[in-house]
Amino acid sequence: MSTLTTSTTGSTAPTPDAGPSRENATRNAWLIVMNREIVVRALNKTFLVGLLVSIVLIAALAGFFAWQDSRTESFDVAVPAGDTTAAAAVGSAVAVAEEQDAGVRIGTVEVADDDAARAALADGDADAWLHEGDDGWVLAARGEPDGALTQLLAAGVEKEVLERNAAAAGTSVTELSAGSGLTTERLDGSAIDSGTLFFASFALALLFFLGAIGSGQMIAGSVVEEKQSRLVEIMATAVPLRHLLVGKILGSSVIALGQNVIFAGVGLVALSFTPMAGMLPALSTSLVWFVLFFAVGFLGLAALFAVSGALASRTEDLQHTTTPMMMAVMGTYFLTFSASGTFETVLSYVPITNVVSMPVRVLSGEAVWWEPLVSLLVLAAFTWVALLVCERAYRGALMQTGGRLSWRQALRAEA
Amino acid sequence: MTTSTHGADLDVRDLTRVFGDHRAVDGVTFTAPSGLLTGFVGGNGAGKTTTMRMIMGVLAITGGEVRFGGDPVTALDRRSFGYMPEERGLYPKQPVLDQLVYLARLRGIPQRAARTEVLGHLERLGLADRSKDHVEKLSLGNQQRVQIIAALMGSPRALILDEPFSGLDPAAVDGMVDLLREHTARGVPVLFSSHQLDLVERLCERLVILKAGRVVAAGEPARLQETGRVRHRLVVSRDAGWVRGVPGVHAVDVDGPVALVELADAASGQRLLAAAVERDVVHEFTPLRPTLAEIYREVTA
Repeated sequence: MSTLTTSTTGSTAPTPDAGPSRENATRNAWLIVMNREIVVRALNKTFLVGLLVSIVLIAALAGFFAWQDSRTESFDVAVPAGDTTAAAAVGSAVAVAEEQDAGVRIGTVEVADDDAARAALADGDADAWLHEGDDGWVLAARGEPDGALTQLLAAGVEKEVLERNAAAAGTSVTELSAGSGLTTERLDGSAIDSGTLFFASFALALLFFLGAIGSGQMIAGSVVEEKQSRLVEIMATAVPLRHLLVGKILGSSVIALGQNVIFAGVGLVALSFTPMAGMLPALSTSLVWFVLFFAVGFLGLAALFAVSGALASRTEDLQHTTTPMMMAVMGTYFLTFSASGTFETVLSYVPITNVVSMPVRVLSGEAVWWEPLVSLLVLAAFTWVALLVCERAYRGALMQTGGRLSWRQALRAEA
Repeated sequence: MTTSTHGADLDVRDLTRVFGDHRAVDGVTFTAPSGLLTGFVGGNGAGKTTTMRMIMGVLAITGGEVRFGGDPVTALDRRSFGYMPEERGLYPKQPVLDQLVYLARLRGIPQRAARTEVLGHLERLGLADRSKDHVEKLSLGNQQRVQIIAALMGSPRALILDEPFSGLDPAAVDGMVDLLREHTARGVPVLFSSHQLDLVERLCERLVILKAGRVVAAGEPARLQETGRVRHRLVVSRDAGWVRGVPGVHAVDVDGPVALVELADAASGQRLLAAAVERDVVHEFTPLRPTLAEIYREVTA
């Protein structure tokens, strides 16, 4: 079927002599199609269950972070009786732990000698044993000493030993370290640290992934359902196919966007219960950009998914025809949440990956005010071209009944 | 919307469709007259479905044209046609009523009117209590009824039905035919394809037989039967082998006292009968009109 040259009349606009009622119906056809797509999807049990499970997962994840953060660990450290340096080191570690609100509580257990210390460790009376060895200080435990404890005690020991040595040299630590302090300062005034940034880019990439895959497969499935059942032939005689495509794209976009707004809302509310609550204003701005980018970008993706559906001739073909789209969406997901530096800057302008990367750069404070606007224009241009090309491929592929098609066949065939 | 009582003929003129280097439909010409049932028969791959898809505009026409009411058919005309594609289906997971109303609204019927009309049709076809069921829960026959409703909604001005009776039991066929007759009574041309020749013979006022993309016979079934080769049956009391020697008579089959013959002309018949009366006792001498199935076999052979 490679030499088709004439065009289908079923997809052309009605002639000017159309009666008023039928003509109006044609103009509103996309609205009728969109309504059906939304209602059918919103009432679909599988979709609703998936939505519910995702919401529960997001809430549970946020809850886990909050719990992890509020958890307090307590340790008892054995120190040799009479060892003032060791006792002071533990004392300074306790002070640092309190100051950092690190969730670590440290107690002291005095032990008479090494054997008593080993016994205390063995009995579980002490979690670690701090003492001076032949070549510096030793923190012993039954297994590997806890990381957070080790870090705190290392700092404590260093401080005490420095002070002892300084005193022996006839000076003091304060004198020695005068003017050596280094503080960090962000000129952009953003309060976002790299951990939060990573978390946010991961969350946005996941939101994009869930929305694009879920709604993309929905539109592909609904297109092939109509093609396979020949319902599309009945509809093509009633309304221009363009209306059918537009209605489907808008319908699934509304669903995808609504789903993302729900997820983001649940995520933000959940975050407000965690120590990251301070990041909420910055995160919200970034999320608004994300929703805007997603809304524009998904229109193009939905059109591409619709053609993937039209290329199939039966539901079984979908897996094959949607593969390139799935790869693109998954690639976007992996690239965007792991990208950084110049690569991320590039991604923040490339259509589809910019849906995630630009809001992340807005969050990090790296993007200048006009950058998201330019990137959004690039995305809009991409979507526009995708819509034009897909409209043609969709019309070309829908009426072909002889098995699976390629993009090239769909674009060349006109009916 | 007004229901027109005068109908328009559907004319297919020299319609051609080429797939690659295969001419699936090759210069097909026929008329489905207003107010009549036209049966469209032919073997698998004869081009029936391709022709119907071109009439409906879902397949591009390579050559020729479709005229409706004397003028080239427009997209707007086609919007008012009822169409039942082959290998059809519906949305399996949507309730019957909802999707019929949806299809009706796409054809420009307002929501309320669409609902009333769909419910009326469901009532007529005994599906009123199934209106809220998902289509996938209906039997195949009931799904077929729902599909015919989809084609009949909104007072269509022409009906193009691809295999509308396949899979229906005789009572269901009769019910559907009654429904179609109501539309022909409004002056609507109805073109339907079928493999069931006996059904076509019984129902149709017009017949179009397609073979390898070409029309091999078209017209009223009775006229076709007259123009078909008429045979005669002669029954005598003894062996009838002698008929082979009568000039102008071609013996198709002789089985003892029964002979099946084809006559070159009326005079040959008189000669045969005279010879028979002379030799033997004549029990029977009857012309045999060919059945549609025989005509079909003959023209598509």
